[in-house]
Amino acid sequence: MFFYYLDLAWRSIKKTPFLSLLMVLAISIGIGITITTLNVYQLMSENPAGERTDKLVAVQLWSQDKDAWKEFNAQLTYQDAYNLRQSDVPVRQTAMFVTGLAVQTEDPDFVPLLEAVRVTDSDFFDMFSVPFIYGKAWDKSVDTEAVYQVVINEALNQQLFAGEDSIGKTLYLDSKPYQIVGVTKTWSPSPLYYDITTGAFKDSAQIFVPFSLAPIEEFQSWGNNQSWKREPINTYNQRLSSEMHWIQYWAEVQDDAQRDEYAQWLKRYVEQQQLLGRFDSPEAAAKLSNVEQWLEINEVVPEDNKILVGLSGLFLLVCLVNMLGLLLAKFLKRAPEVGVRRAIGASRAQIFAQHMVEVGLIGFGGGVLGLLWAWGSLSMLSAHFDLEAALTQLDLTMWVLAPTIAIAAALIAGVYPAWRICSTNPSVHLKSQ
Amino acid sequence: MLQIKPILSTLMRNKSGPILLLIQIILSVAIVANASFIISERLTLMDRASGTAEEQVFDFRLYSFDKNIDLESQIQRDMRAIRDLPGVIDASTTSMVPLSGGGWSSGYTVGSSEETAKDTENTAVYYGDEHMLNTLGVELIEGRNFYEEEVLTGSPDLATHGIVSKAFAKATWGDDTAIGKTMYAGDFGNMPIKVVGVVDKLQGAWVNSDSLDNSVILNIKLVNVFTKVLVRAEVGTLAQLKQEITTTLLKDNRNRVVENFTLISEHRKRVYRNHELMATVLSMMVILLLLITSLGLAGMVMFNIERRTKQIGTRRALGAKKRDIISFFLVENYIICVVGGVIGGLVAVQLGQQLMTVYSLPKLELIYPIATIAGLLVLTTIAVILPARKAANISPAIATRSV
Repeated sequence: MFFYYLDLAWRSIKKTPFLSLLMVLAISIGIGITITTLNVYQLMSENPAGERTDKLVAVQLWSQDKDAWKEFNAQLTYQDAYNLRQSDVPVRQTAMFVTGLAVQTEDPDFVPLLEAVRVTDSDFFDMFSVPFIYGKAWDKSVDTEAVYQVVINEALNQQLFAGEDSIGKTLYLDSKPYQIVGVTKTWSPSPLYYDITTGAFKDSAQIFVPFSLAPIEEFQSWGNNQSWKREPINTYNQRLSSEMHWIQYWAEVQDDAQRDEYAQWLKRYVEQQQLLGRFDSPEAAAKLSNVEQWLEINEVVPEDNKILVGLSGLFLLVCLVNMLGLLLAKFLKRAPEVGVRRAIGASRAQIFAQHMVEVGLIGFGGGVLGLLWAWGSLSMLSAHFDLEAALTQLDLTMWVLAPTIAIAAALIAGVYPAWRICSTNPSVHLKSQ
Repeated sequence: MLQIKPILSTLMRNKSGPILLLIQIILSVAIVANASFIISERLTLMDRASGTAEEQVFDFRLYSFDKNIDLESQIQRDMRAIRDLPGVIDASTTSMVPLSGGGWSSGYTVGSSEETAKDTENTAVYYGDEHMLNTLGVELIEGRNFYEEEVLTGSPDLATHGIVSKAFAKATWGDDTAIGKTMYAGDFGNMPIKVVGVVDKLQGAWVNSDSLDNSVILNIKLVNVFTKVLVRAEVGTLAQLKQEITTTLLKDNRNRVVENFTLISEHRKRVYRNHELMATVLSMMVILLLLITSLGLAGMVMFNIERRTKQIGTRRALGAKKRDIISFFLVENYIICVVGGVIGGLVAVQLGQQLMTVYSLPKLELIYPIATIAGLLVLTTIAVILPARKAANISPAIATRSV
C-alpha cells in the first residue's frame, strides 16, 4: 500500500510541478539555514572531554582583595599554583601556561621557528588523554627536579625529523638543548577546554616542556596576565611572588567523594592563606568546576550563535507555515478527485495516509536539498571567512538529523491539510463535477 | 471603490488560507526587523575608522633568543636598517598594534590633589618613539610630537611624556585642553606623565571594548626579547619588504625569528570577522525569508485565481474592468499584509526586548519594523500583480461555459 501511495504521491507532485517545487524549496531553505547554524552551535558547545568530564576539575581561587574584580578569575597566581601542587588529594593535577620559544635543530642551516609552547606537568598527558606515537611523558620526578626534556607533536616531528622515531634526539629551544622523550599524535580538542583564556577555538600547542623549568628558564607568558594589585613586576622573581593571575590549574578526581575531599582541602588552604594575610576578601573561596560547568561559566558558545540558532528556528517555522498554506491550496484543488475516490470506496484513513505519504515525500526532498544548501553555505562561509575547519565540517549527526527534521516538520505541516481533505463530504465535490 | 466589504466577506468565507498567510507575515516581520537591525548595527561597528594609514602600515614580530647580546643597541641598529630600506616611509617599535586584538591597556590617576584624584577611563597604551606618529599615520591636532631627546629606552615605568587621543582627552579633561596636563601611572603623585600632544583619532586593539577610541602614546622604546615593530611603507610593497627585512635582520644576527608580517587592514578583517560573519548569515536569512514569503504569497494568489475562475469570469461578464480584478486581489492581500505587519511589528519589538535582556544587544529601533512593513508591502504588490494580471485576462465566456 505504501508504495502505491508513493506512486500516487509522485504523480500528484508531477501534476503541480510549480507548487511542489515551491514547497520543496521552502522547506529545504528552512532546513539549510537551521542545519547551518545548528551545526556551528553544536560543534562549539561540544564537550570534548567525553566521559572524563566529571573527573577533570578546573580550580579557581578568589584570592583578590575586596576592592578588586568581583568574580572568580579563570587563572591562578603562581604562588597558589605552586602550593596547590603539594596537595596529595587529587589523583593527578597540573599547573600550566603558554609561552613561545625559538625552535632549532642540530642542523646549522635550519631557519629558527617561533612556536607556542605549553609549560605543564607530567600529569597533563594522562589527564587530557593525549595519545602518544613514540615514547611517553617525562617522568614524574621531573615535575619537582627540573630536567631539560620535551614532548613534541606529530606535525612538528614530521617537519623536523621527517616523522621518524625521534626519542632521545635533541631539540634546541631558545638555544638550550632539550631531550625529546615523547611524540604525541595530532591531538587538538575543540573547544580547547583546558585553556580558554585566549580563545577556545584554536590549535593545541606543538611543544610541551616541564613546568618546573619555568623559574629557571623564566618563560614569558603568552596568555592573559591579569593584576588587581599595583606592584612592581620587573624581574621574573617578582612575577612569581606577585598577585598576578596567569596560571591555569586542573585536577583529576576519582569520584564525587574525592572531589568533596579536595574541596575541603582547598577550603583549609584558603583559611591558611588568610592567616598569612592574603585572600583579604569576605568572598575569598575556592571553586571547582567539571569540564561541562567550565565551558558553561566561560561562555564558550558566543551569544551570536545562540541568537542565530533562535532566529533560524523561527525561520524554519515560517517555512513550515508557508508550506502548510501551499499544501492546503494544493489538496483542496484536488478535492473533486478525492470525492470520486471516496465515492468508490476509499476510507478516510486511506485518503489521510495517502496525503501524508505525499507530504513525507516532499519533506524528504526538502531535507536532502536542505543538506546540500547547508553544505554549500558552510563551505562558502569557511572559505570566505577563513574559519577553523573544526567549525565548518558538516557534523555526522546532521546527515541523519536534517532529513528527520524535514520529514517530521513536513508531516506536522501536512496533518491539517490532509485532515481537511479527508473530512470533507464527497457529495459536495461530486455535485460540481 | 476599494470594494473592502466584499473582500472582507471573501476572506471570512475561507479563513484558513488568509490566517496562514497572516502568521507567515507576522513571523517574517518579527525576524526581518530584528535581523536587519543587528546587521546594520554590526556594519556600523565595522565602519569605524582606526585613525591610521591601514593599507600602508604593517607590523611584524621579532624574537631574539640570543641571551648574550646587547639587546638595546641591537634594536637601535635594526630600526635604523629598516628605515633605510627603499619603500619604507617610517618605522617604530611598539607595545601593540591597532585592531590586532592583543595589547596593553591601563587606567591613570588624574587630579590636582590627593583628595580629588580620580581614575581615568581605561585606555590602550602604545609605547614608542618620535617616529610613531608618522609611522601610524595619525593626525596631530594639538601640541607637538616627542622630541628625539625626550624618548627613553627600557622599562615602561620610565615614561614621562604622553600623546593622547582626542577621545581620551575629552573623557578625562572635558573641554579643557589636555596639553600640559599631568597624569600618574601610579597613585597620585607617582610616576607623572606630562601630556604634550593630542591626536585626532587612534584606536586600541580590542574592537569590542567600550573605550576603543581611548589611546595614549608614551615616550618609551621598549627593550624586550619580543619586539613588535611597526613599519609604514608604500602600498603594495609588503611582499617584497617582508623578504628584505627578514634578510637584513638575520644578516645582522641569526639567532632570532622574524615573522607575522600583517597589515593593519588585515588585522581589521580578522578582528571584525565574527561581526562580518553574523551580518552575512543574517543577510542570507533576510533575503531568503523575503523570497520565500513572496513566493508563498504568489502561490496563494495563483491558487485563489484558479479557484475563483468562475467568479472572476462572472464579474467580468457583469462589467468589471481588468483593473478592478487586479485591485481586488491587491486590496485583499494588502489587508492581510497590513494587519500582519502591525501585529508583526509588535512581536518584533517584543522579540527585540527579549534579545536585549537575554543577550547584550542594543534596543531595537522602531524604524526597522516600520521599514520592514513598507518593504513587505512593495513585495506584496509585486507578488500579487504578476498572477493577478493573469486573472484579469480570464475571458467572461469562461464563466458562462459550465454553469
